[in-house]
Order: sequence, then structure tokens, then C-alpha cells
Amino acid sequence: MGWRKAAIAGIGASRQGKLPGETALSLATEAFRDALADADLQKDEVDGLLTMPGTSSPEGAKHYLALGERLGINPSFTGSMAMGGATAGALVQLAAMAVSTGMANVVACVFGDAARTAGSKFDSAAGGSDSWGIWGMFGNAANSAIGARRHMALYGTTSEQLGWVAVNGRRNARLNPAAVMREPMTLADHQASRLIVDPLRLFDCCLITDGGVALIVTSPERALSGPHRPAVIWGMGQGHTAENLGREDWWYLPHQTDCVSRAYRMAGVSPKDIDVAQLYDNFTIAVLFWLEHAGFCKIGESGPFVEGGLRIGLQGELPLNTAGGNLSESYMQGWLHIAEGVRQIRGEAGERQIPDAELCLVTGRGMTLNTASTLVLGR
Amino acid sequence: MDALEPVLPVLSDDNRGFWDAARAGTLAMQRCAACGHLRYPISPICPRCLSPDFAWTPLSGRGTVLSFVIFEHAYNPAWASRVPYNVALVQLAEGPRMFSNVVGIPNEQVRVGMPVRVSFEPVQTAGGSELAIPRFAPAG
Repeated sequence: MGWRKAAIAGIGASRQGKLPGETALSLATEAFRDALADADLQKDEVDGLLTMPGTSSPEGAKHYLALGERLGINPSFTGSMAMGGATAGALVQLAAMAVSTGMANVVACVFGDAARTAGSKFDSAAGGSDSWGIWGMFGNAANSAIGARRHMALYGTTSEQLGWVAVNGRRNARLNPAAVMREPMTLADHQASRLIVDPLRLFDCCLITDGGVALIVTSPERALSGPHRPAVIWGMGQGHTAENLGREDWWYLPHQTDCVSRAYRMAGVSPKDIDVAQLYDNFTIAVLFWLEHAGFCKIGESGPFVEGGLRIGLQGELPLNTAGGNLSESYMQGWLHIAEGVRQIRGEAGERQIPDAELCLVTGRGMTLNTASTLVLGR
Repeated sequence: MDALEPVLPVLSDDNRGFWDAARAGTLAMQRCAACGHLRYPISPICPRCLSPDFAWTPLSGRGTVLSFVIFEHAYNPAWASRVPYNVALVQLAEGPRMFSNVVGIPNEQVRVGMPVRVSFEPVQTAGGSELAIPRFAPAG
């Protein structure tokens, strides 16, 4: 069952948090070294390098050259991609395709960002010929808040229900020694946090952190010779909406349903087969949308699904964001979601391990609610 | 640009038809001369059929609030004095959607589904030229 023509054999991460003196490149390098050690590979075995420039990276689309120079890698397959929170999954997909076609044998996918230290604000205005800033529409939170408000109006979703997503992330982060935010958070704490873009509160928003993550993709056969159980790629999907205002249901991100469906189809699985999920959580409302888009509940029923936090907790029917996610672990734009998915499949997630986790869904989304990528990881 | 300068449109051949109509008190958008598709955001070609031929077409200015948010945090210094302010996604009667602001009522009274009608706010650019920004007021 499943595609199973490539696997993630190594995961690495730098320190996370506020790391003065570090840069996007230094953190990417730290993560790369960690991933090599994790996979028990030598640098010279890496013949593919795929990168995502951080918000603090000056190189833009030429980021792969800067990182390749620093790492001393002259690859047979390389490039950079900028699809926001969908990039990590999309680069792993590209790496998997390169491995399965023989264009590369071992591909490192690498990200680093000093967003916190560099003061990245995530405050820009979208818009084409006329900026949305003319009407005061700035920043990433507002796009998600537009969706949250309409979901609330149509289906009765509440701020408290969003709060359960934040509380769940924090509860799991407290079991993750590498997480940035480990102080307890209650639903009351969420409700007492200040409004940023109403209806979203401070604790509905992800962190802004420094850090790096690296993922090493190779063939399942080669991955088997490594020190860990390979996380085999069963299914991959993407979906995108470029025309924000051109679609009436853009606020609901209809491409995400297509994205997950494509990955399920390739994997030959359905929502009931998924043991654990890492759903992209730049804002709490994103998780509610994913639950509906991925078929874990019906449209409009994600609020009651997460309410009380039991169903999505570590002992629940669908454990979510087991490492804490963007909200509480670190804002690595979805890269750590994949790393945690790999850990769960390996059975190496420590106190937060889901027993016998055989299939993990990992989703990413980015830009102005435009891009989405999905991986189904398994054994 | 001075940090406190509000974000104003930069007029170009692409968008001048929209802002000229606004100054004259009309909300106008581009209708494709080849396939008839009424489009927004402003674009030099039709996203349906890729034709570059179009006519600026007056709209009724009527719509409904598809969704809205209230900014409690100023992401841009030019908007700091307006916080808290609302931004609404307006579904226009003729089909297109645009971001704007609901004016004439307190933020707490803005509702999803509320009928609205365009209302123009005159502004002056730093260069002294006059513009009118389309915003929306409750329509009964």
C-alpha cells in the first residue's frame, strides 16, 4: 500500500528560541549537521540540496547557493522554494521525486531563520495593482481572522473552541524538551490574552522564533541501513489558490481539501487510517480548517471536535501537533511538524509517543492562504 | 515615504480607471471585452480568457459583508490612530469581492451578511492630488 518510493532517513534541528548572534545560514548549518548525525551519514554522501530562504535571508531565490557554499556541497540536484508554510512539505516531495527518478541519492532539505533576532514582523499587505493596505489590511493574522469570523458566523464556532487548539499545543510542548514555550496554559489564559486581530487573540497566534531544521530524504532501501526506522512517504499532495479575491470561498482555503485528498489517494488511505496528525497551526483556526479539509469531521463541525481537548489529546482518537506545533514548540514554518511526524513513525517521541503510530498526516500552508502541501508518512 | 503617510494607491495605467471613477463617486471594475467576465483585483488581462481588452464598468456599489475583522493592533504606524478599526471582505452584488472598511457604525455592530453600499472618503495625497477611497456604509 502507498507510494513508498522515498523515505525520510534523517531529522535535525538547531536550538530554537531567541538566539542573538545567529543568522538564517548559521541556524540552517546547525540543523544540517544535526540531521547528518541523526541519519549517520557523511556530508559527501549528500548529493541533493533543497532550501527555503528564511524571512531574514537576504539571498532570496539564490539561497541554495549561499547554503551550498557554506556547507561545501556541489550538488547534482538543488534549488530554493518560497511557498511559506507549505514549503517544507513541498521540498520533501521534490526530494522524493528526485530520489525516485534517480536524479539524486540523498537529498537534504534545509531551513533556517533568525526571524526573532532580525525582528521579522509578518506585517506586509497583500494585493495586486492596489495594496490591501489602502484599507488597513496588514499582516498574516488578519487573513486567518477573516476565515475565523466567517466560520463563527456560519457554524457557531467560538473563541473558546479555538482556545482548545492552543491549550493542546501547549500541553504537548510541555512534554517536549526542545519546545520554546513550556509554561502551563489554560483555556482561561487563552481567553484572557489580548485581541490582536479580532476574533484572534495573542494565544491564537504562532510564535516568532529563531531556529533551523533539516530533513534528509533517500530511498527506502538506503534508509533501512540507517540507525532509525525510516519514515516512508506513502502519499504526497499539493493544492493552491493564486486568486485570493477571485474565489468566493477563498477564505475557506478550498485547495486544502484537494491537497489532502491527493495525498490520501496516492497513499491509498482514508482519514480513519491516520493515527496521529501534525496540522499546520500558524493560527489556531488553521487547525479547525484542516480537520474539516482532511475529513476528520464534517464541514462546520471542527469547533465541537476540538472542544474540551480530549479527542485531540495524546490519548484521544486523533492526537494533534504532538510536539507543540508553531503555537508552542517553535515557529519553523512547518519544518518541525515533519520532524515530529518522523519521530512518531520511528516510535522515538518519548513521553508524547502515540503507541503503534503507523500513519502520520502532516500538512502545511502558507502565503496569503494560497499554498498547501501534505505528506502521509508511514512505515 | 514618511512612515505616517497612509497607504494610498499609486496611480498607473492599470488602475487609473478605478480611481478616476471613485473620485467621480462611482465604483467601477473591469469587464472583459472578449468573455464578459467582471474582474477584481485590477489586472491588465482577464484571468478567465487572457484577453487584454476591457472596459471600466460602473457597479451598483451594493454588496454584503462576507466577513470582517477588527484590528486591535497597529501593524502599520499610519493606522495606529485608527485602532481599533474594522476591515471587511465585501461581496459585491455583481460578483467580485474587495477588502474595504465598514463606516458609519461602531465596530461592534458590523455583522457577517450585513448589506452595505459604497461610500467614498476624499483624501489628499502628499503631492496634493485628490483621491476618493471606496468604503462601505450599512444599506438599510
